[in-house]
Amino acid sequence: MRAYGQLTIAQLRLFGRNKQVLFFTLFFPVFFMVMFGYLFSNNGSLGIYGGLIDLDQTTESRALVTAMDQQKEVLKLDRETPQEEAMEKLRQGDNQMVIVIPKGYGEKLKAAMASPETAIAEHGYVEVYYDETQAQKSGAALNAVSQVVDGISKSFLKYNPVVTIEPKGIESLNLKYIDFLVPGIVAMMIMSNNLNGVAGQIASWRERGVLRRMQSTPLQASTFIAAQITARLILNGAQALILLLIGSIGFGTQMNGSWALLLGFVIIGTLAFMAIGFIIAGLAKTPESAGPIAGFISFPLMFLGGVFFPIQSMPAFLQPIIKALPIAHLSTALRQIMNVGAGITQLWSEGLLLCAWMIVAFIVASFTFKWE
Amino acid sequence: MTSNLQQHSDQNEVIIDVQGLCKRYGSFTAVDGIDFQVRKGEIFGLLGPNGAGKTTTMEMIEGLRQPDEGSAKVAGHDTRTDLGKVKTVIGVQLQSTSLFELLKVKEITKMYASFYEHTVPIGPLLASVTLEEKLNDRVKNLSGGQKQRLAIALALVNDPQVVFLDEPTTGLDPQARRTLWDIILKMRDNGKTVVISTHYMDEAQLLCDRICLMDQGKIIALDTPRNLISNMNSESAVEFRIPEELQWADDRKEQLLSELQTLNGVRIAEFRKDTYVLYTDDLQTTLTDFIEHCKEKDIQFADLLTRTATLEDVFIHMTGRSLREE
Repeated sequence: MRAYGQLTIAQLRLFGRNKQVLFFTLFFPVFFMVMFGYLFSNNGSLGIYGGLIDLDQTTESRALVTAMDQQKEVLKLDRETPQEEAMEKLRQGDNQMVIVIPKGYGEKLKAAMASPETAIAEHGYVEVYYDETQAQKSGAALNAVSQVVDGISKSFLKYNPVVTIEPKGIESLNLKYIDFLVPGIVAMMIMSNNLNGVAGQIASWRERGVLRRMQSTPLQASTFIAAQITARLILNGAQALILLLIGSIGFGTQMNGSWALLLGFVIIGTLAFMAIGFIIAGLAKTPESAGPIAGFISFPLMFLGGVFFPIQSMPAFLQPIIKALPIAHLSTALRQIMNVGAGITQLWSEGLLLCAWMIVAFIVASFTFKWE
Repeated sequence: MTSNLQQHSDQNEVIIDVQGLCKRYGSFTAVDGIDFQVRKGEIFGLLGPNGAGKTTTMEMIEGLRQPDEGSAKVAGHDTRTDLGKVKTVIGVQLQSTSLFELLKVKEITKMYASFYEHTVPIGPLLASVTLEEKLNDRVKNLSGGQKQRLAIALALVNDPQVVFLDEPTTGLDPQARRTLWDIILKMRDNGKTVVISTHYMDEAQLLCDRICLMDQGKIIALDTPRNLISNMNSESAVEFRIPEELQWADDRKEQLLSELQTLNGVRIAEFRKDTYVLYTDDLQTTLTDFIEHCKEKDIQFADLLTRTATLEDVFIHMTGRSLREE
């Protein structure tokens, strides 16, 4: 017990005195937060700018335009600009999308209504032009448009939905991109600190004989690992808190959920990524190779796992992979708690998956771990 | 040193008992079935060139490496079955342990102390390795000698019966080495048994009560430094060069060597690199005879020197190789 306390304190002292590491592990996420926060805060909310050109000019097409108008919180569409000009703006990045209702839209719609069985073949359609390089915005734009179009086609088919979505919550919370970003950054920080931190430190201690020296004392490996975990939990908890405070004070991010649940997910996330860090420490033959291996794993996770961009905007073929990643679940859970105040009942699957990662990784780590 | 030897040689209680210890790495045999006993209260030296198996031997006794064959007992506890007990009675300084650079001397000592049930007070401990003024300094600000002394203090924190020091003075300057020697000798005076490995023969000769000479995983000799040297039956060595020998044919060199062998008092005559070495138990007769012989045969020698035989000579004599690689 005394050894556990001393080792924990020693590790915390090492964290606290390694100013450079401390600075960069905190500076890195804060830098991302500030950079992305300012870049996207100019656009205000998640508004999508675009042009809407109605070439059909029928009752049906006007109904569609009105429906689009009702989404003006999200879709900020300009109906005055001619198509050519709107397309040019899209190329230059001023517009995120251009919606064109082609001639004959109304005709096709009427035909489809008259004989619903041929509707599949002869349906009306709307052309949506977007910039593929703006994955995040165009993903959201396509989503919004398809919702409107979906609504229209359902109403035309006299579709009576059994299940409906009440579009409450999000709009009234008035979430901004920074609200999306901050939980992602916290998740990213937990991942990279633990992957790189654990793998690098353990590999270097092993190389320098620090672990062997401890092995020659009656110290139990379990005590050593428990102290490591405790110290890292304290460090990550503190760092997460600092990030959340910066987000809250500097950018006005919202916290709509339970702090206890948030802390719970920070802890599970830290443990899961620590365990993966121990695996990397076992695989890495030298401390020099631990960094690149950890980077090789954490870098793709950073971009795939919903840190900066919504997971939905990732290509479909990647979705099953992304859905299994621990970072995706950690960032989703943190985001749900902070943004919409989700409780454990909504987040049990995320929690379960992270726990599974943690347990499996610790089991693997216990087999691959080497003291020397 | 010899007075200490006498003082301790009556304590014949065995504290480390090594039987048939073997360690293999693939086809390479690092330690090849060695047996020896270390007596309580002595400084026991493992001397040999790099790769002789000194560190592997120590680490098997410390329980850090599992022997492939054989056993090691420390204070009656078998390292294979009673490792926990072994760890409480030993203190270890590893060859290249780097300590936590960012901790203070006091903090790291406290941390290591927390691993043991029974410990000595930290203040006097650090004073005994003359680090009392460095208590609040970070490890990274210590000199090489101070770090090594701290490593030794950490090995003593649990008041162990046996202290293992693996090449403690390698890389230190002469002054720091001497300070460390004093500390090691003081440890023996305090009743500790010390097992020390080194490849410095002067260090082994000065510190050790008994020396285990190792080469290629085997013990080639084990005795007191004095006995090791006197067993060569050659107290002195005569060294010289023959400049013109460069033009000589091999059979001419062979002939000279066998002639030298017959000189009065010469036990062994050897040719090493560019120098002839004559080991003798009667320096004066050998020298006189040598000078006469050279005069007679009209041999021009150079760089003549005489010296007492050392452990290095013992090692070369037994293995045909030098302790330190050239």
